[in-house]
Amino acid sequence: MAEILETLNRIFQDVVDDKNIILKRETTAQDVDEWDSLNHITFIVAIEKHFKAKFTTAEIRSWKNVGDMCDSIARLA
Amino acid sequence: MANIGDKFAEHFVVSADIHEGFIAIFGDRHPLHTDARYAVARGFQSEVMHGNILNGFLSYFVGECFPDREVMILSQEIKYQRPVYLGDRLTLEVEVIDVHHSVNVIELACKFRNEIDSKIVASARINVGRTSVKET
Repeated sequence: MAEILETLNRIFQDVVDDKNIILKRETTAQDVDEWDSLNHITFIVAIEKHFKAKFTTAEIRSWKNVGDMCDSIARLA
Repeated sequence: MANIGDKFAEHFVVSADIHEGFIAIFGDRHPLHTDARYAVARGFQSEVMHGNILNGFLSYFVGECFPDREVMILSQEIKYQRPVYLGDRLTLEVEVIDVHHSVNVIELACKFRNEIDSKIVASARINVGRTSVKET
């Protein structure tokens, strides 16, 4: 699970072009200024491409924080 | 929403109006783009057209030709592989190579071919998102 979080962190840093941002399981979009709607879309696309996975809209809407994203990705493995 | 494998094609001419309009708007008068002797001395046939003219064609395709009107370009990468000259006729070939239904994003692979020799002069990847009317 730590590996998934680390990967998400790296993908997110690339999306927002900021290497100083550190995502934690409890991080939400509201906690990060750069996590706006457009970056959110880019983030999800990058995650789907990296993990070669496709999520449903309902699944994405159910995510409350980064930890939920990690759990969804872990279930795909 | 488009499906993986959907293909489209559009034709463009790099006309003097487009070349001069690009220079008038953006001001890039580098001699490679405006001085034939300068360009020939560097191994080109004539003035090389600005690569970003092709970006304009891509914008036109997404905004005016793509069947889905609720679209916006989220990201774009382009590689310029061969020079384009004034008057060249180009075919833009576009294929939907991925669809991310979760966030309504499609990924397009684009190739510009010179119609004289069919060689690819540029290729691009574009992520296109869907817009939606905000509920009030």
